[in-house]
Amino acid sequence: MTSHVRDLSWQVVVGGLLRRGIVLIVLAGLMTYFASQSDRFFQSRNLVNILEQNAALMIVTVGMTLTMLIAGIDLSVGSVAALAGAISAGLIVNNGFSFEVSVVVTLALGFAIGLLNGGLIIWGKLPPFIATLAMLGIGRGLTLLYTEGRPISLNGVDQYTFYGRGDVTLPVFGETPVSVLVALAIVMIVSVILSATRFGLHIYAIGGSEETARLAGVPVTRVKMIVYGSSGLLAALGGMLLTARLFSAQPQAAVGMELDAIAAAVLGGVSLFGGVGNVIGAVTGGLLIGVLSNGMNLLRLASFLQQMIQGTVLVVAVAIDMIIKRIEGV
Amino acid sequence: MTAQAVEEKRPFDWRTFFQSYGLLLSLLLLCGIISLASDRFLTVDNLRNVLRQASINGIISIGMMMVILIRGLDLSVGSVLAFATVVAADLLSRGDVTGVTPLGAIGIAVFVGGAAGMINGVLVTWIKIPPFIATLGMMTFARGAALQYTNGQPITGMAELGAGVRFLGSAELNGIPVPILAAGILYILAYVLLNHVPFGRYIYAMGNNEEAAYLSGLPVKRIKMFVYIVSGALAAFAGIILMGRLNSAQPTAGALSEFDAIAAVVVGGTSFSGGEGTVSGTLIGVLIIAVLNNGLNLLEIPSFYQDIASGVVIALALLLYRAIR
Repeated sequence: MTSHVRDLSWQVVVGGLLRRGIVLIVLAGLMTYFASQSDRFFQSRNLVNILEQNAALMIVTVGMTLTMLIAGIDLSVGSVAALAGAISAGLIVNNGFSFEVSVVVTLALGFAIGLLNGGLIIWGKLPPFIATLAMLGIGRGLTLLYTEGRPISLNGVDQYTFYGRGDVTLPVFGETPVSVLVALAIVMIVSVILSATRFGLHIYAIGGSEETARLAGVPVTRVKMIVYGSSGLLAALGGMLLTARLFSAQPQAAVGMELDAIAAAVLGGVSLFGGVGNVIGAVTGGLLIGVLSNGMNLLRLASFLQQMIQGTVLVVAVAIDMIIKRIEGV
Repeated sequence: MTAQAVEEKRPFDWRTFFQSYGLLLSLLLLCGIISLASDRFLTVDNLRNVLRQASINGIISIGMMMVILIRGLDLSVGSVLAFATVVAADLLSRGDVTGVTPLGAIGIAVFVGGAAGMINGVLVTWIKIPPFIATLGMMTFARGAALQYTNGQPITGMAELGAGVRFLGSAELNGIPVPILAAGILYILAYVLLNHVPFGRYIYAMGNNEEAAYLSGLPVKRIKMFVYIVSGALAAFAGIILMGRLNSAQPTAGALSEFDAIAAVVVGGTSFSGGEGTVSGTLIGVLIIAVLNNGLNLLEIPSFYQDIASGVVIALALLLYRAIR
């Protein structure tokens, strides 16, 4: 009972704002620093570039956030993204299917793989980490098998590559990359679902306590299946955007993407233990990683050094978060 | 009726039998299938090869098991392996200047690995960062550090100076490769620690219920630190063996070995919810994965299928395990 009362107290609200604020403050600080060091950073083309480069990661992070909100995880997203890229390209290039059919089939495949993850977790009672780790291996293997280890080129398939490099002209914003619009649309839709629908409430309820949610009449199994299915579907969508941007499906695409997505979500305040966080925060975390890596590129830091800094930033940001949490007494 | 009498009257119970020996039976079954499919499997040379290849993942898995026993996780083992190894290799290859002997190089690697593990431990124990994130940060950092330290190039030229290291990697004692001996000794030590030393029993107690362990006065923080330090140090030691076998230190070594180790530990019956798992189970888990990989190699199955097969085997092994329980 006490914990319920405390959950609603002002301390938590302030603490939550402060913690979300920390990511924004770090982000603003980084951007100021990079702007002072490089003239090119604040050019609108560069800022749009950052969004474009991270569109796929943003979409995958949204799916990862959903699984983390129900105290799960999905390590298979990188492999599913690569598999989706390969199959969507192969269906068009090798089998002569139309772009639309290929997209629908690929998204359905991603959803099905997600459901398989969900099935292993729910009925097989495997820990999410292990079930999706197995799927990580299987997905990557299937990708290599399907592509025979060679990239599938999409040169000339303009309808597909449009989603990677194409722009549409919008009022006010001018030329906007399509991939960014797709990513923003996904973020908005899932955000609304999470905060304004019964289904979203169910997700948070399961993350808070699965047993309590079940006893309260939440259709736990169905919600979990849909969450894992969605994560697979969003990974497939992200994989197709990545493929469109590279103009080819690479069998080794998106290796390690699962770890980037998890890092982004955690930086953005999503708890690994379920029930806490939201999509906007997670995507902000993703942008933090994107800005950091873009800025370090502009400063011409060696890529090895960049890796060391990224690891440090992740740990320091989460450490600050934990320390604030303790001060807040949450 | 006494409990003993009940015991005697009970007919042979398949359930209990599978619970105790299911894992070993799976390993034997796998060996049986592969030896039917390939007559090259059941030869002394090949089996020795399997064990030699298993020794590296086996050593890392000891540390990983202990971390998972206390409901932790160590994603950094592969990167720590690479970083510790390149530092030791660099100092050793410039031995005439630095005065580092092969034995010293092993010590340095283990020290560097232990230090990385200690940082993980501090982040997890005192700052209370979730183990997944703390060790993910270390994984990224240490890989970057290994690449930065070597400029992305492998370190070679230890051939003359590093006889001791090569001994660890590729020599044989009475026909038994030294890596297998080293792994065997470490498994015995781990078995003794976890089963016959109070401190080792604390690890199980803590994994079962950290709160209860703390309230009963167990040194919870020290146990956590110890486990993470051991995991880092063992990863570094495995790296030295790998270096001895390849006669070079690669900054990209050990990539994805965290997943191999986690897979072996979990296939071996260690539970992610902590407090449950045995040294012998982990050993069998390591062997199952090694035998599987070896079998797929012998049957000349392309590596794409190997990824798929190990994924399927991990999932199947665990599903079976759950079903039996």
